[in-house]
Amino acid sequence: MSDFASRLPSVPGFDAERAGKRAECDGGGAIAGTRYAAREEFTGTLTGEYVDHGDPPWRWYLLGRLERRPDGYPGDAVWCLAENLFVEGEP
Amino acid sequence: MGRNPLHTKLCDMLGIDFPIIAFTHCKDVVAAVVNAGGFAVLGEAMHTADEIGADIRWIRSRVGDKPFGIDLVLPASAPDADTLETLLSKIPDEHKRFAAYIKEKYNVPEPKGSQALHQWGGLNQDIARKQLEVILDERAPVFVSGLGSPAFMLKAAHERGMKVFGLIGKARQAKREIEAGVDVIIAQGYDAAGHTGPIGTFSIVPEVVAIAGDTPVVAAGGVTTGRHLAASLCLGAAGVWTGTLWLASRESDNDMIIKEKLVAATADDTVYSKSVSGFAMRVLKCPWTEEWATSEAPRVLNSPYQMLLSSDYIQAANDHRRADLMFEAAGQGVSFIDSMKPAKQIVNDMVEEALSVFEEITGESADV
Repeated sequence: MSDFASRLPSVPGFDAERAGKRAECDGGGAIAGTRYAAREEFTGTLTGEYVDHGDPPWRWYLLGRLERRPDGYPGDAVWCLAENLFVEGEP
Repeated sequence: MGRNPLHTKLCDMLGIDFPIIAFTHCKDVVAAVVNAGGFAVLGEAMHTADEIGADIRWIRSRVGDKPFGIDLVLPASAPDADTLETLLSKIPDEHKRFAAYIKEKYNVPEPKGSQALHQWGGLNQDIARKQLEVILDERAPVFVSGLGSPAFMLKAAHERGMKVFGLIGKARQAKREIEAGVDVIIAQGYDAAGHTGPIGTFSIVPEVVAIAGDTPVVAAGGVTTGRHLAASLCLGAAGVWTGTLWLASRESDNDMIIKEKLVAATADDTVYSKSVSGFAMRVLKCPWTEEWATSEAPRVLNSPYQMLLSSDYIQAANDHRRADLMFEAAGQGVSFIDSMKPAKQIVNDMVEEALSVFEEITGESADV
């Protein structure tokens, strides 16, 4: 499990239906040490891995094989909040 | 005209007199706007859970039963984070040299203390969760998610009698949040301060209104005057979200130097720059943004590296109150901020101007 997935009390899982599907993430987050937030967008392929953090559960999916990412984004995967993820072929 | 055009479904939902929402990081502004008949939201992204709890209780002591909101930046995506030391070690020498060049050229002093950025340690999502828990425990009347979808906590909030607002920059995100059951959608356009979506306010607001059904839509981005308020209502919004407008208000705890800069600034004095954080954000121009826009500057780093690089400059400018170096996030509506007025007067001026605009259009007075 990655560093992110292990930080909060979490239940990992695997969504076979979504594994291998292409998806876009309208992502972003707080910028450390500032009162600002930033939007950032990704396109990639869902690995199927997810984690549910805490209660009520906060679900995050791992988006890998990134085709589109912010300029200079390090790494080839990003955790995406489920409700900010738009999966191809899903309404 | 008869009916008061400023009395919208947002007013009915919140029990407020005017459909004006102030977004601010200053709790004195929150109390003043709420007591003036508007609605106000306190941005608490950088505060600890204990501080948020104390702020909620402080606001309640000043506004009684009147509603107010608390805003957090719920993350929507999360890379695996490195330690601060590892992050600092990854900044290329070329970029360190350019930052040193700016420091020397403008005689930027050393920060007085250790940097707030280095002390915060908040490069993970645990913080947002702890912040959220105290907001639920304190039953803040309204919770606003400034970024990630709040869908996962809607049930918990509604069970506590709270309302939940979602701020979005794209119509598809609005649709997703409306379907999940958020109470209000804030559609934020490109004119706004800080980090915005790519779509202009005049386009995103009616696009979201068209799919929102009965969910009130609030217009954000560049809204600064009564004329903007009237225009937003004409676009189908049920209210406006205003941020820059309050930065130079009498109650704002912003440094007087920043307030003077805001009063003097026009939209042309703002710049959409990546040089501060690595993400494009709208701020007042300053030596840091101007130097990174020159052809001699290396390519801006991505976040969080650029933020780590700029934090020295920012903290030194603020610690030493160097007017020539300081800056603030500001929207394009900054042109209309021409004095440091009390928040109550800002609300009243906005209302009066909006009503006079409707009167101009219809030729009739409203029953207010």
